[in-house]
Amino acid sequence: MVQISLPKNSKLQKGKYYKDKTGSKNLRKVNVYRWDPSTGENPRIDTYEVDMDNCPTKVLDVLNKIKNEIDPSIAYRRSCAHGVCGSCAMNMDGKNGLACTKPHSEIKGDINIYPLPHLKVLKDLIGDLSTLYKQYESVEPWLKNSNNSGKTENLQSKEDRAKLDGLYECIMCACCSTACPSYWWNGDKYLGPAVLLQAYRWIIDSRDEDRKERLKKVADELKLYRCHTIMNCTNACPKGLNPAKAIASIKKMLATS
Amino acid sequence: MKDNNPISPHIQVYNWHISSLVSISHRITGVLNFVLLILVCFWVISLIFGSESYQYFKIFSNSIVGKFFIIGFIWSYIFQILSEIRHWFWDLGYGFELKTTKITGVLVILGSFTLTIVLYLFNGVLV
Repeated sequence: MVQISLPKNSKLQKGKYYKDKTGSKNLRKVNVYRWDPSTGENPRIDTYEVDMDNCPTKVLDVLNKIKNEIDPSIAYRRSCAHGVCGSCAMNMDGKNGLACTKPHSEIKGDINIYPLPHLKVLKDLIGDLSTLYKQYESVEPWLKNSNNSGKTENLQSKEDRAKLDGLYECIMCACCSTACPSYWWNGDKYLGPAVLLQAYRWIIDSRDEDRKERLKKVADELKLYRCHTIMNCTNACPKGLNPAKAIASIKKMLATS
Repeated sequence: MKDNNPISPHIQVYNWHISSLVSISHRITGVLNFVLLILVCFWVISLIFGSESYQYFKIFSNSIVGKFFIIGFIWSYIFQILSEIRHWFWDLGYGFELKTTKITGVLVILGSFTLTIVLYLFNGVLV
């Protein structure tokens, strides 16, 4: 259900202020969401003064710098640092994205960093995505083909292959789903843009023989039609994909089949 | 343990953009239009009961509060219609590119205000 305000235990407190110790003249304030499960306290916003003269270009570099040089207790997910793994998805400057591909020069004023919105926080910038993964599993994201003996190639025309462009590139970083107000309010039932884009990726695959069943499964008031084309998903996608369009394609297939 | 975990901030920190703004306005005007239909009912009823009762409606519609209601009513409907046209194109599968959604979003907002002014000034509404 729609709940605009945060529950009591999620209300933000003022946090610590880490003053610069390097003496640099090119400082930037970085406000980071912190929550430590071991203390039982409410989440807080810590502010770090970061020396930008000795900092590479991306927001992830800023976080690495804070963790390495100022405060090692800060927790966030990261792995490839090249926009491929999707681990460092977070909310920066009021918009979801990958910290490793987001240049901090694009942000005006203080750099505000939060976890992906409306998730259960596990620690600091790490949100719990287990619901999303369960939903991903529910669309059975694998090829269903009775002729698939494993001995021959599963051929596909160039045109059919092209239909997967703009879909297969999805790295499941969850930037889109956690940007979606519908997913905020109904995340337990509505599948959300990331999972629906994945569902469409298998629906539209010419090699898959389960199209009808897949469509039937997703045709649900809550699972699919909670999408009201708010466009937050497409706006957030760090890979430049268009989940809103994929969802509309599913809706159109259902309306015309 | 898990129930103790806080929920990360959402609407409090997320930036608004044209499409999300038009989307929420579409919702609000939808509800508003439904409620404002009562005003139309009064209008029709005052017509049914003849010119004398219509005078009361006219006094109301010429007052500042009345004008506010009527202009708001016109805007709300026009906004809903324009935004719905945008949705029709989406339903047909067109206009999902980010640039296009921005342009059509601005068109809906600007169009709703322009058409409201045009309608109110030049159609002689309730004069």
